[in-house]
Amino acid sequence: MNSVDFPASVIRLENGLTLIHQEIAATPVVVADVWVKAGAITEPTEWAGMAHFLEHMIFKGTDQLPPGVFDYAIETQGGMTNAATSHDYAHFYITIAADMLPQTLPYLADLLLHAAIPADEFSRERQVVLEEIRQAQDDPDWLGYQAMSELVYQDHPYGRPVLGTAEILQQRSPEEMRCFHQAHYQPDKMTVVIAGGIPLEPTVAMVKHAFRGFASPPPCPVAAIAPVPTLPGVRREILHLPRLEQSRLTMAWLAPGIDQLETAYGLDLLAAILAEGRSSRLVRELREDRQLVQDISAGFSLQRDCSLFTIQAWLDGKDVDRVEAIVCDRISELVANPITEAELARAKRLLCNDYAFSTEAPGQLAGLYGYYGTIANADRCLSYVPTLQRYTSAQLQSLAHQYLTPLRYVSTILRPA
Amino acid sequence: MTASLLQAPRLHRTVLANGLTVLVLENPVADIVSARLFIRAGGAFEAPHQAGLVSFLMGLLTKGTETLSSMAIAETVESVGASLGTDAAADYSVISLKTVSADFPEIFALAATLLRQPSFPHDEIDLERRLTLQQIRSMQEQPFTIAFNRLRQDMYGEHPYALPGIGTEASVSAITQQALVDFHRQHMRPDNVVVTIVGRIGPEAALAQVEQALGDWQVPAMPPPALTLPSVTTTATCSMVAQDTNQAIVMVGYPAAPVKHPAYAALKLINTYLGNGLSSRLFVELREKRGLAYDVSAFYPTRLGLSQFVAYIGTAPENTATALESLRFEVERLQETVLSDDELQAAKNKLLGQYALGKQTNAQIAQLLGWYEILGLGVEYDQQFQDMVAAVTVLDAEAVAQEFFHTPCISLLGPEEFVAPVAQAQA
Repeated sequence: MNSVDFPASVIRLENGLTLIHQEIAATPVVVADVWVKAGAITEPTEWAGMAHFLEHMIFKGTDQLPPGVFDYAIETQGGMTNAATSHDYAHFYITIAADMLPQTLPYLADLLLHAAIPADEFSRERQVVLEEIRQAQDDPDWLGYQAMSELVYQDHPYGRPVLGTAEILQQRSPEEMRCFHQAHYQPDKMTVVIAGGIPLEPTVAMVKHAFRGFASPPPCPVAAIAPVPTLPGVRREILHLPRLEQSRLTMAWLAPGIDQLETAYGLDLLAAILAEGRSSRLVRELREDRQLVQDISAGFSLQRDCSLFTIQAWLDGKDVDRVEAIVCDRISELVANPITEAELARAKRLLCNDYAFSTEAPGQLAGLYGYYGTIANADRCLSYVPTLQRYTSAQLQSLAHQYLTPLRYVSTILRPA
Repeated sequence: MTASLLQAPRLHRTVLANGLTVLVLENPVADIVSARLFIRAGGAFEAPHQAGLVSFLMGLLTKGTETLSSMAIAETVESVGASLGTDAAADYSVISLKTVSADFPEIFALAATLLRQPSFPHDEIDLERRLTLQQIRSMQEQPFTIAFNRLRQDMYGEHPYALPGIGTEASVSAITQQALVDFHRQHMRPDNVVVTIVGRIGPEAALAQVEQALGDWQVPAMPPPALTLPSVTTTATCSMVAQDTNQAIVMVGYPAAPVKHPAYAALKLINTYLGNGLSSRLFVELREKRGLAYDVSAFYPTRLGLSQFVAYIGTAPENTATALESLRFEVERLQETVLSDDELQAAKNKLLGQYALGKQTNAQIAQLLGWYEILGLGVEYDQQFQDMVAAVTVLDAEAVAQEFFHTPCISLLGPEEFVAPVAQAQA
C-alpha cells in the first residue's frame, strides 16, 4: 500500500481498520487523529444533525469510562483533545506528550467504539447543541453560507447544515443514535492517524490492541442516494438580515469531487490567480484600484461527491450588482485570454509553499492524511505539488471554460434588513 | 516534552551596536524560516484622541516605502509565495514573515525596509481609512464583540486599554499623515526593536542578514518614550445592550494583575482551572452538567498594565439571570473555597502541558521568544514562568482570588425582555 515517496506508512489491520503512521523524530509531541466516514452525508434526511450530535455524545463516556473522565485524563496530562464534524467525516483527536500516548489512546478508542450514549446525558447535551445552533444563527456569515449551500446543492446532503435543526433534534432518541453509531463507527470506515515522536512498531501494537471489539453493525436507516447536483443556469437569492453593517456577495460554481483530483487542484490555482493576495486579479482591481469592495476572496473546497468554487466579496449594498457583473467578466476573460507565465508561476509558488507551511506540525500532517484517507487515499495528497507544477496556461484556460461559466452559478447576497 | 527553549543550546541572543536585539534559534527540521520584528510600541502608547493610530500605522507599513509602491511590495512577497503581515497589540507591534529558507534573505530585507522607510502615501492612507472605518462598523455584527467592547470600556475608563486596538470612527477619521510620521519617528528605532528568527538557518547567517539590513540604523540621541499608564479605579458596573439575538451574551470582568505582578502566575493557573478546555470548571459545571451553553470560558490576557479576568457565556435568553449568577458564583467562590491539591496539580499539568504544545512550529517559537523580550521579561522568562506556575500553592490561589475577584463589571447583551430585568436587578 505504500508508495515510494510517501513518508507515512499505511497499514490495513485485519479487522479492516486503516492505520497511517509517520514518525517525526525531532518532536516530543504526538497526535492521534481518528477519522470516521460518518459525516452528515451518511444521515437519512429525517436524522439530519445526528452525525454532529453524536460527535458531542462520544465524549459522554462508555460503561467503563464515566462522562468527563476522558477529558480530565487527557488535559491533566498536559494534552488537548477535540473533535469536528463535516459532511464527509467526523474526526476526533488528541495532542499529547509522546510518552503519554500508551495510557491515553485506549481511552479514545473506548469512547469511539463503545460510546454508551446514556439517555440523561443525551437530553442534556441536546441543550448544548441547541445553544450551538442559536449561536450560529446570530452569525450572518453562517446564515449566508447555509443559504448558498442550499441553493447550490439542492437535495444533496451537502445542502443542509451539519448542525441539523432544533425541530429534528427534538425528535431524535438515544436508541436511534446508538443505532447510527454502531452502524457507522466500524473498522472499515475508520482511519487512525498517528504522527509525531513515536516509532512505527509500538504504534501498530498499540492501535491493534486499542481498536478491537467493535459492535456488530445493526440495521440502520441509510441515507437516500443523492444525485450529484447540476446547475441549469444562474440562481440568485437575496437575504435581508438584521444588524448587518455590510453587504456580502457570494458566487458559487459546482466542481468535480475527489474522483477528479487533477481538476480540483487546477481550480485551486485559478482561485489563487483570481484572489489570493494583494497582487491577484480581483483584489488588485476591485479593492486596491477601483475600491468597490472591502475585501474579496476566492476559494476551492474539495469534497468527496462534488466540490465548490466560490468567490466572496464584502461590499457596500449599492455595488453588489456591479461587482457581480465585473466578476462574471473576469471569469470570462480567464477563458478568452491565456494566463501570463508570471501569474501562473506566482500562483504555483503560493500554493506549493502553503502546502509546505501547513505540514509543519504533527497535528497538521495528521489532519491532512486523515482527510485524504477518508475521502480518497492518504497518499493522494502527495500528488498535490507535482500536479500543480505540471499545469500549463492552456490547461487552466480549458478548465475555466468547463467549470467557471457566468451562465451557470449561484449567487447569494446578504443585505442589511 | 522540552521544558525550556533555553535548554536548547541553539538559542543565540545578540545585541547590535545600535541596541537592536536579535534572537536566533536554528531548527533544521522543515525547510521553513519564520521571523518576527517586534516594536516596543502598541496601542497603550496612544493618547485617547489617537486611538487606533498604531494599528493603522502597522497596516500602512506594507503599503509603500520611499522606493516601493504598495503593489510592488505585494508582488515581491507573493511572487515567492512568502507570507508577510503586520499586527498591533496593546503592548507591542510586530511584522511577521514566513518563507521557504532560500527566499528568506530577500523577504527579510524587504521587511526591514518596511520598518525603517515607510512613506505613508496619501492615497494609501485614504484607502486604509475607508477599509478601517468599515471594519469598525462591522464589529457591530458580532454580539460577543459588542458585549466585550462595552465591558472593556466600563473597566478601563480613560486608560488606553479601554478601546479596541482598531480605534473608533472618530479617532480613525482624524488620523493624519503627520501623526503617522511622528509616531514612527518616535517609536520605530533600533533600541526599541527585537528581531527573532527561527528555522532552517544558521545563527551566523541569520545574524549577518540582520546586520546587513538593520545594523546601520542610527539610534536617535533622545531616549525612547517611556510608557506611562493612568491608574484605573474600577467600580462595579452593569451595562446592557438590547438586541433581538437568538442567544444572550453574559460577561463578567474583574481587574487583574499585570504580567510583572507576583499574582500573575497564580491568576494564569486559576484561568486554566476555570476556563481552559473540556475539563475546566466552567465547562463542566455550566455546560456538561447543566446544558446552559455551547461556549463558556474565561480569559486573562497578559498585559504590561492592569489586565482583566473575564468569564463569559452564550446562552438562551431566558437563562440570562441563571448564567450570570452561575458565572459569578464559580469565579467568586474561589475567595472562600480552597482548591484541593489534586485540582491544583491538574490545573498545573494542563497549563504547563499546553504551554509546551504551544511551541511546535517555528512561528510559534519566534512569537513566544520575541514577545518575552519585547515586554522586558527576557527569554529566561520561558523557564521562569514554568517555575512560577509549578510553585503556586492552594493558599496562593485563594489569596489571589481574594485580592482580585470582588468588583466585577458586568456586560449583558440580548433581547430586551430577558436582559433588561437582569440589568435592573444589578442596579
